[in-house]
Amino acid sequence: MKPTVAGAASAPDRLSSRGRLIRVVVTLAATALLLFGTLWGQDDLFPFGPFRMYAVADRLDDPVADTRFELVDTSGAAVELTQNNTGIRRAEIEGQLGRFRADPSLLRVIDQAYAARNPNAPAAVTLRIVIRWNDLKDGIPTGNYHDETVAIWNPPAVDR
Amino acid sequence: MTRLIRFLTTPVPRGRIAAFRTVIYLFVAADLVWFTPWVRSHSAIPGVFYRPLLVGRLLHLPTPTPLLVNGIFWILIPIALLAATGRAPRLLGWTVFALYFEWMIIAMSYGKVDHDRFGLLVALAVLPTAGHARHGDAVTTERGGWALRMVQLAVIATYFLSSWAKLRFGGIGWVTSATLERAIIRRGTPVTDLLTSRHWILVAAQCGILVFELSSPIIFLVPQRVRYWITAYFYAFHAMVMATITISFAPHQAAMASFLPLEKVRPITWARALIGRLVSARRPATGPAAPAAESTLRFLLATGVDSGTPIDTPAMPATVPEA
Repeated sequence: MKPTVAGAASAPDRLSSRGRLIRVVVTLAATALLLFGTLWGQDDLFPFGPFRMYAVADRLDDPVADTRFELVDTSGAAVELTQNNTGIRRAEIEGQLGRFRADPSLLRVIDQAYAARNPNAPAAVTLRIVIRWNDLKDGIPTGNYHDETVAIWNPPAVDR
Repeated sequence: MTRLIRFLTTPVPRGRIAAFRTVIYLFVAADLVWFTPWVRSHSAIPGVFYRPLLVGRLLHLPTPTPLLVNGIFWILIPIALLAATGRAPRLLGWTVFALYFEWMIIAMSYGKVDHDRFGLLVALAVLPTAGHARHGDAVTTERGGWALRMVQLAVIATYFLSSWAKLRFGGIGWVTSATLERAIIRRGTPVTDLLTSRHWILVAAQCGILVFELSSPIIFLVPQRVRYWITAYFYAFHAMVMATITISFAPHQAAMASFLPLEKVRPITWARALIGRLVSARRPATGPAAPAAESTLRFLLATGVDSGTPIDTPAMPATVPEA
């Protein structure tokens, strides 16, 4: 509503019946879409997908995966890779873990992202994704763990 | 049906719409820079890592490039700040919605989708329809009422439907599962170290979360005063989540301001009144010529986001331009 006429601005802004109808229809349609996404959809349906944060039931004696990605550079130093030095979130790596398993050379994505953000850092000779499996007993960490290397890749020297 | 319509379009003061607009559009600018700065870093990730969401595929959105990502970043910030003033709510509002939605598709298309901003996206989608609104305006609006109600429903749906998702993906066994333990191992804080020694503490917490989420729609059935207490409880819940598993849910919290009487928060009016008092207290000593800095400040305040309210302090110098 545009209060162009003096006095119009102080009148309560009431909806026309058409305006009401449109809003009710939009409300019902959005609700239906959201319910469909919640019951049958996946994350792909964003923003109408299921709100599935922490929705998986982890078993009390199953080890908990803590994924990390890291590189070894030409100086022999191991660098832990993070969202800060690559711009890639850990959960994004985990979300595409299957692709890294199938084709470890996809680690070049991380290599390039790291190089773009750290142009003066020594080049990587090895990149890898490691899952640390923390053991649980009755839902409590035992302190034991074992590491699983999911993908490992050595960039060709010409890459950098 | 009549009751549903009345519920959906309960009138609210226009001043509340104006204030909510300012909160949401300022949040969008802050989100780009401060809350989710990692979105911008997707510009440097090779396109092979891009896995577009359904909506991105349907709309044939391009694979993000540095030009696209940085272009949206630098265009969206000034437009969001302009929209926060309440000017041209439809034009600026739809522009912010379109740009931020594409920004979110860029954010969520690399293997991880976040669930903390459904309410914010709904707010951006409905605010352009809420009509002109000036800060402090007590006149009520139904279209504004519908907009706020949609955001409130989206906020509560995020809670309520997330417990549905827990039952769908985890089953009822979710309550006694090691889900929180896993979250703590992966992203815990010193606070959580106190909790991990006893599994029953986490089971109790999981039980509490489920009860809290399933009962959240009660907020629409209680008197207004209780509603504010429930909203305060929601904010406290998020403070606790932040302290334990470092998840902020900030966009959701911004949308949750739709439950608050924001029209009563008037920082610029308060600042103006304070300056007015200071000026009238100093006037006998300084004489009739007001210092240049003071009139500049008055001019800035008069033309700022709060321009809807006329300057009416008696000490106003005659040289101050009209808002």
